[in-house]
Order: sequence, then structure tokens, then C-alpha cells
Amino acid sequence: MSDLRIIDIEKRYRTAEPKGGASSFMLRPVRLTIREGEFFSLLGPSGCGKTTLLKMVAGLLEADGGEVWVGDENLTDVPPESRKFAMVFQQSLLFPHKTIEDNVAFGLKMQKVGKKQRLKAAADMLEHVGLSGFGSRYPDELSGGQQQRVALARALVANPRVLLMDEPFSALDPGLREEMRELLSRIQKEFRVTVLFVTHDRDEAFALSDRIAVMGEGQLRQVGTARQLYERPETTAVAAFLGLKNILSGTVNNGRFTSSDKTLETAVNGELADGDYFLVIRPESIRAAEGDRPGQVSIKGTVQEMTYGRGMYSLKVKAGSQLLECAFTTFQAEKTAVGEPIELLVDMKEAWFVKE
Amino acid sequence: MWQKTKPYLLLLPAAATIILLFFGGIFDGLLKSFGYFPAIGETGFSVAAYDRLLSSSSFWESMALTLRVAALSSLLSAIIGAFIAVALFFLNDSIERTSPKPWHRLFQLPLTIPHLVAGYIMVLLFMQSGFLSRLLAAMGWIDEITDFPVLVNDPFGWGIIFAYAWKEAPFVTLMLYPVLSRIHGSWREVSRVFGAGHWQFIREIVVPVMMPAWAIATFIVFVFTFSAFEVPYLLGVTYPSVLPVYSYQLYTSGTLSDRPEALAVNVILAAITILLGLVAYYFSKRWNVLKGWG
Repeated sequence: MSDLRIIDIEKRYRTAEPKGGASSFMLRPVRLTIREGEFFSLLGPSGCGKTTLLKMVAGLLEADGGEVWVGDENLTDVPPESRKFAMVFQQSLLFPHKTIEDNVAFGLKMQKVGKKQRLKAAADMLEHVGLSGFGSRYPDELSGGQQQRVALARALVANPRVLLMDEPFSALDPGLREEMRELLSRIQKEFRVTVLFVTHDRDEAFALSDRIAVMGEGQLRQVGTARQLYERPETTAVAAFLGLKNILSGTVNNGRFTSSDKTLETAVNGELADGDYFLVIRPESIRAAEGDRPGQVSIKGTVQEMTYGRGMYSLKVKAGSQLLECAFTTFQAEKTAVGEPIELLVDMKEAWFVKE
Repeated sequence: MWQKTKPYLLLLPAAATIILLFFGGIFDGLLKSFGYFPAIGETGFSVAAYDRLLSSSSFWESMALTLRVAALSSLLSAIIGAFIAVALFFLNDSIERTSPKPWHRLFQLPLTIPHLVAGYIMVLLFMQSGFLSRLLAAMGWIDEITDFPVLVNDPFGWGIIFAYAWKEAPFVTLMLYPVLSRIHGSWREVSRVFGAGHWQFIREIVVPVMMPAWAIATFIVFVFTFSAFEVPYLLGVTYPSVLPVYSYQLYTSGTLSDRPEALAVNVILAAITILLGLVAYYFSKRWNVLKGWG
């Protein structure tokens, strides 16, 4: 087994002039195990420390503590050129004076693989990324998407132990980005390469990853599959970052939850100690009322906004002091209009309580 | 009409001066080298001057010396200049970006000094009775100042070569540094991740990237040292002398009838320079100097 293990790795600010009041950590200690062949994403807003973490794993940035292991080999003090990792950056960063095949074969050349052999490997890899026949061109003759494919080929050709990717598709336009995602997903499964992928795009992370670590403010917030994170976020911060806007503060008392603005009162599923909670309601678990059903709780409000997007309507409903976001089918949405009162049903099995 | 011609009219005095002095001078020299010299009553054209020149051994000795001095000076400047450029590049990488760069200023210093002054500095420092030899003698490293090797006014031309190397190396650096600074900071990271150590990075990325600019800078130094006058005049020996000095000697010390020969030397120098320029242009095209830079 050669899992990638990140053990309490951390990074502090150079303490010349600590910025007003902020903690001195750029990245608080992170502990992660990424299984061999797993596609693992670090997801978070910019400045949350995910690229810092990636560069420390690569060895390009020196950690202020902690260790990096692959299998039973401690790589903490191994320089990046000896780690046998590969990396794809936000820009393709191809060498402009080298042809495409020389760019792809670069890693192999550094490993002293013979010319014939490495050019053959490069040609094979170019075929995998759909660029066979481009080998003798120069990088500036290729489009941005093609360049990024070459960067991917360059990373994979040397059979790396871990492939590190730092927002590789964020500079591409949306259509191309989707195409590249599919390509990456296919190739990753084909080569069974361990991928550590950094992104701020949750759709991208959700579409690609086996597991995701949500990061924020220089620390790891939650690790899990896309579904676990989206349906069972541990904190409101994770929920908010994943785009869940219906977060109602309130209290649980004797098994009943009351929101602070009293718009919602319901029995709580399962055991929950009394205290302050946040109720997270996904927009998909709200529907327009069509007669009561057991296990559902109704909220009265007014439709404030309706926007159409990709087959669904997104509604903003004012209920008390809360603005609830609901995802309606076209069929449901056609029965209401902006400014009209509406009664919403929330499926409490789908709702989720968090403490902070 | 006025609006369109105005800029050209404004340029006319400057342009006319340049054309008259530059091309006029060249044309006059060309005519005289072919024996057209009304002042001494010669109005016919002949290649006699070239004939005499090409069959004289002192011309060929001058030519050999000139080529040797130019080649060694440009080679030395190229090596030293590239070394400084690469050193500055890595130095810049490792120190804080915001701090001032006194290093750069230091290496730019020789650029501000005229060639004549550089020549005198060489004389003062490296002559047998110069600063360095007296310093070494005072420290007891050499017994007498005459033990110091003849580096100035030596027949091989070391004095000239050193002066040029010192003077032109910063020029090569100046030409290379902007090219090196186009090397993406992240390329170092990329190459490290893919297994390239420090030297491999220099060999694979830095050298190929700076090669075209390097070759061109070296070529410019070569052409300049090939046809420059003052440093060899100051630091060379009377015989053999480099071609420009040889031409000057012929022009001033001989009779009026020697002047066509002196001017023929200049025409040959100009022709060789133009030829070298064309060769360099051809190669820079073939290499596609900026291939891949977009």
C-alpha cells in the first residue's frame, strides 16, 4: 500500500510583522490520509491555505512542522525533485523553447530515460489526452485547453506516485472545463493514479472526487464524500461554503426546534440535547404545500424572487426574518408568482442540525 | 498636405546631417580607396590599393591579430557576461523582491565608462610599472616589477582582450538579463517537481532560453571589437597593429599616395562587418530566435 499520509503538517507566517490580530498560522496542522488510487480534493475559498498545503506536499514550500509519507517512506526531508510526484498548475507552464513531445518527455529525461524510449512514452501519453500528432509543435501553437492537456500528459508520463493539481482548469472557459474534467476522470481511473486536487469550484470537486476536504481560514473543516459533505455538513461554515443558504438559527427544547424568528417549529428527529442549534435545509428538500403530509413541517411566506436556471426554478421566499432558497420544478413554479403568498413544506428527514 | 509633410520637414536637418556625414564619408572613402583622389590629381579608378594591401604581409598579420583579439574578447565577455547574468538571476530569486538591488548597479558600472578611460585604467593597473605589479612587488610576491608579465602593449594583445572583456561583459549581461527574467518563476517549481536539480534546470531551461540572445550579444561584441580603434591604439604594440589602427597609421604616417590603401582597409573592415551581420541575421532567422514565446 502506498497511501499518501499528511501528518500534522503546518505553516506559520514569517513573523516579521504579523497582520493585525490575525493568528500566526497560514495553515493549522493538517492530518489526512489519501488512499492509493484515490481522487482527493481540497476545496475552499481562495486564501484558505489549500495551495500552501499542496506545495508543502510537493516539497516546494517548507513546512514548519509535520511529516509527509508515501507508504512507509518518509518524504518530509526529501527535496521535490526526488519525490517522484508530478504537478499540474493553474497555467500550463510548458517550456516555450521545447516542442510538445520534449515537454511531455521532460520528467523522463530528468530520470535519464533514453531518448527513443521517452519520446515513445510521450507520444503514447499524447494519444491518451487526444493530442496525437501534435508532438513536433511548439506550445504557442496550441490553444489554452490543448496546452493544459499537454501539462496533464507531462505530469502522467513519468508514472508519478502522486499527481498534484492546483486549480488546473480554472483558467479555461466553462465548456472546455467540463470536457477536461471528463478527460481527467477517465485517465485517472485508467492509470489508477493518486490525485490530490486543489479547487475552489465545488461543482468541479463534486464531479471528480472520491473524497473531499473542505478547508477554510487556514484549517481543515471537514473530510468526506461529496454527498456526506452536502447532506451532513458539520458546521454552518461548511454548509455555507457548499452553497447551502437556508441556515436557521434556533433552539431545541424537549425535542422540539423553534427558529429564532418563530417562523418554524417542529419536532426533532432522533435524540438531540437541549441547546442552541442551526437548522440546515437544502433547497431541494422544500416543496410547495399540496395538503399536509406526516413528517413534514410547513412554513408560510411570500415569494420574493424567481430565477430560471438549467431546468429548475430557484425561488427566494421571505418567511419571517429568513430568506429561504428553494429549488422548484417548472411544474411547481408555474403555480406561483413573485409577490404571492406561498406555503412551503420541509421534509424534516432531509433537514440537518449543526451546533456551530 | 502641410500636415503630412511637416514631420518629415522637421526631421530633415537631422536626417540630412546624418546622411551627409555617414554615407558621404563612406562614399568618399570608397571612391578614394579605388584611387579617385582629385587632390593629388588622380581621377581614374583602379584596384591598385587593394592589390598592394592584399599582397602585403603586414596587412595579413594585422588581420590575424584583429580576428584573434576580437574572437578572444568576445568569447571572454560572453562567458563572464553570461556568468554574471545567471548569478544575478539566481541572486534575485533568493533575496527579497522589494529590497534595492545594489548588485545590479555594481555590474552596470563598466557600461558608464568610455572605452578610452577603460583603456587607461588597464594601463594604470596592469602595466609593468602599474599599480598591480607595484602592489605585488611591495608584498613580496614578485622580486621586481619587471617580473610582472607584459600584459599591456604586448604583441599577443592580452591588454586589449582584458580591457574589452571587462568593458563588454556587462553589455552581454545587460542583453541577457531581460531574457532570463522572462523565465517564469514557476518554471523552477515545475522542473523541480519533475525531477530537475539545479544544474539540470540551468542546462535544460536557462541556457537554451538565453542562447539566442547570448549569441547575438556575443556577435555584437565581436563586430565592435573587430572594428574599434581607441583601446587597441592605447594598449596594442605598433607592429603588428589591429586593422583600424593599421589604417590610421597608413593614413597619418605615410604620404598622400598611401591614403587609398588606408581607406581600402576601412572598406574591407566595413565589408566584413556587413557580411558578418548578414550571416548573423540568417542564423537568427533559421534558429527562430523567439520560437515558442508567442
